[in-house]
Amino acid sequence: MHHSNHPYHLVDFSPWPLTGAIGAFSMVLGLLKWFHKYEINLFVLGNLITMFTMYQWWRDISREGAFQGLHTTPVIFGLRWGMILFIISEIFFFISFFWAFFHSSLSPTIELGMMWPPMGILIFNPFQVPLLNTAILLSSGVTVTWSHHSLLMNNHSQTSQSLLFTIILGIYFTMLQAYEYMEASFSIADAIYGSTFFMATGFHGFHVLIGTTFLIICLIRHLNNHFSKNHHFGFEAAAWYWHFVDVVWLFLYISIYWWGS
Amino acid sequence: MASLTGRIFLAAARRNVAYTPVRFCKMMSDPLDHATGLEKRELLAKAAGNEDPFDMKVFQRGPGTKEQPNLIPSAFDARLVGCICEEEQTFVQWMWLYQGTPKRCECGYWFKLVEKAPV
Repeated sequence: MHHSNHPYHLVDFSPWPLTGAIGAFSMVLGLLKWFHKYEINLFVLGNLITMFTMYQWWRDISREGAFQGLHTTPVIFGLRWGMILFIISEIFFFISFFWAFFHSSLSPTIELGMMWPPMGILIFNPFQVPLLNTAILLSSGVTVTWSHHSLLMNNHSQTSQSLLFTIILGIYFTMLQAYEYMEASFSIADAIYGSTFFMATGFHGFHVLIGTTFLIICLIRHLNNHFSKNHHFGFEAAAWYWHFVDVVWLFLYISIYWWGS
Repeated sequence: MASLTGRIFLAAARRNVAYTPVRFCKMMSDPLDHATGLEKRELLAKAAGNEDPFDMKVFQRGPGTKEQPNLIPSAFDARLVGCICEEEQTFVQWMWLYQGTPKRCECGYWFKLVEKAPV
């Protein structure tokens, strides 16, 4: 219990930063082992450690916020700024891949045939699956807004329904991207086109997976009654993140898939 | 491991569908009923008209003489107090103020810590 008169949340000791660091380290080391020795075991172990850390860390913060009442207005203010700054850092992360893409595509070198897409690269038709994916992500932006408004209107069932639709659309997008990758006639090793294409779209796909996970956690928390109409910052952060992923896709679609074709 | 994770997830999902009363009611609970702990006490203070339950905002200084010092509320034994000695001043003069020991800022204004029950 708080007996002191301040609104700040002084956190308890937690093992999750340490286990998270161990998980991330073994994941990357496992990725290298996979590349060099064709053995996936350390990568799987790293992923498991990371996932169990995520589960328990998220669970602890849900408990602190929903069941212990530790998230006062100034604490939520800090969480908001944390998420805003995190998303800004993510924007700059993606800017670096777009920079590589435009650097290479705006003045293609002689080795590429001085053309973009480079000579001999068979690219995706931007008006087939990529356009469908654009429609899917834009629709998911609508459903997540529907969900947010339902939450603000105290409407429990519509919040869960529309959040479920958002998650389904996110999974559908990931499946279509996976099929596109399987059907691709070029690989990440196919010169600068393959490198920039798979680096940018691959990291975007990875962020869609994270965003979908975040939304699934919000759905579980909503079904557990963790949210009220003015206590749902976890949901808002997930929605912000989802919109960010959506906007990155629009830039990917317009510049890499469409203009780049 | 994947099946274990899956089972935990499914069990949690099924439990909610089966046991929560929410499946019968479309609307969610009132935010004040939903809140607990310090968050609830903060909401209650605000509902009672106190917009600054933790005394975070800047106080307007009173006479600040030795007989009538500026009263600084605190639930602690001491509080860090910042005095803006003159209106045009571009910095804040910080000092520790202790319970039972009124203190004078360098500019001449007096301060005194008064006990306040925590929110």
